[in-house]
Amino acid sequence: MSDPGTIVTMNNAYDDLLRRTLASVQCDLARLIYLASTRDYNSGMYHHEGLCARYGAEQAREALQAAHREIFFRLVGLTLEELVEELEVYVRLSREAPTGFIHAWQELEPYRLAVPMEVDSTMVQLFLSNIRLALEILRFRQGQGQGRRSTSSLQPLLGR
Amino acid sequence: MMTMSIFIGVAVLLVLLLLLLTRSEDGEESASAEGADRIRRESRDTLQPWEIILRIFSREDREFILRMRSPRMLRIYQEERRRVALHWVRRTSCEVGEIMRTHRLASRQSENLDGAREAKLLFQYLRLQFVCGLLAFLIRMFGPHALSDLASYTGELYQRLGRALPDGGVASHLATTEDTATR
Repeated sequence: MSDPGTIVTMNNAYDDLLRRTLASVQCDLARLIYLASTRDYNSGMYHHEGLCARYGAEQAREALQAAHREIFFRLVGLTLEELVEELEVYVRLSREAPTGFIHAWQELEPYRLAVPMEVDSTMVQLFLSNIRLALEILRFRQGQGQGRRSTSSLQPLLGR
Repeated sequence: MMTMSIFIGVAVLLVLLLLLLTRSEDGEESASAEGADRIRRESRDTLQPWEIILRIFSREDREFILRMRSPRMLRIYQEERRRVALHWVRRTSCEVGEIMRTHRLASRQSENLDGAREAKLLFQYLRLQFVCGLLAFLIRMFGPHALSDLASYTGELYQRLGRALPDGGVASHLATTEDTATR
């Protein structure tokens, strides 16, 4: 059985992570990417300097892992429309040109690294598939926007 | 009349089979729109299997894509969903197979085997594998929304048949039944 003291510390670390760090991040997709970036690619272990100093390495690791999983489940539970909105916010936050962003994400598929370890494989497939679809939808909207702009810029010429 | 009955029978059978597959033994609550909202609201440490199924076969997502009026987007969506749906069916089938294998190995060493219970278990296993096979076939052939598509296709045929029938009495009966069914 877990030591109650350890659980309290883990909860404190988790609350701290939610209140201080994650609350300032504007969308769940950005939170997911951030949490995945605290994980070592080789060992799969999470690490956060501030949390580690305050609550110890083990509690910090557990808090990061729990938050990562929770946000992942939340994103899997979103409708496609909500996920597209989420991705739009994330593109805006990245300050990259949307066209370049979409191209890079479709080519490199960095979102694959954002998946937590040991989660249901169907959930992983659904998440990856939904992100691919959301990117395709953003690209489609971009194309539509450009088409509309070029049509409207042609209007004065056609009127002459 | 015979063809129509077969179509309706097939659609009803398929819907029942899907319900059978998604229903859990302890009568877990059905996948509803309320459930979908709850996924979004609550903090949680996992998603229930029925919630994943709800997401894969989501009507909401499909309507969102249809609103775009892009055949290309619809094709991409159907391909993506087909892939996920087939993954889920294959995984379910494999997991059940694995559970049965473990059970078979354990029951070989068991001294007090209950024959009736074993037969019931085997029947349930075969039933599940049959449903999985049927679902995989339908998803591959008609896409991830095979069941609802087939059901609406049946409704459409039913209506067409009602209009085409020369007998006014039967035709109006079919139309009335259709109206009641769609209400």
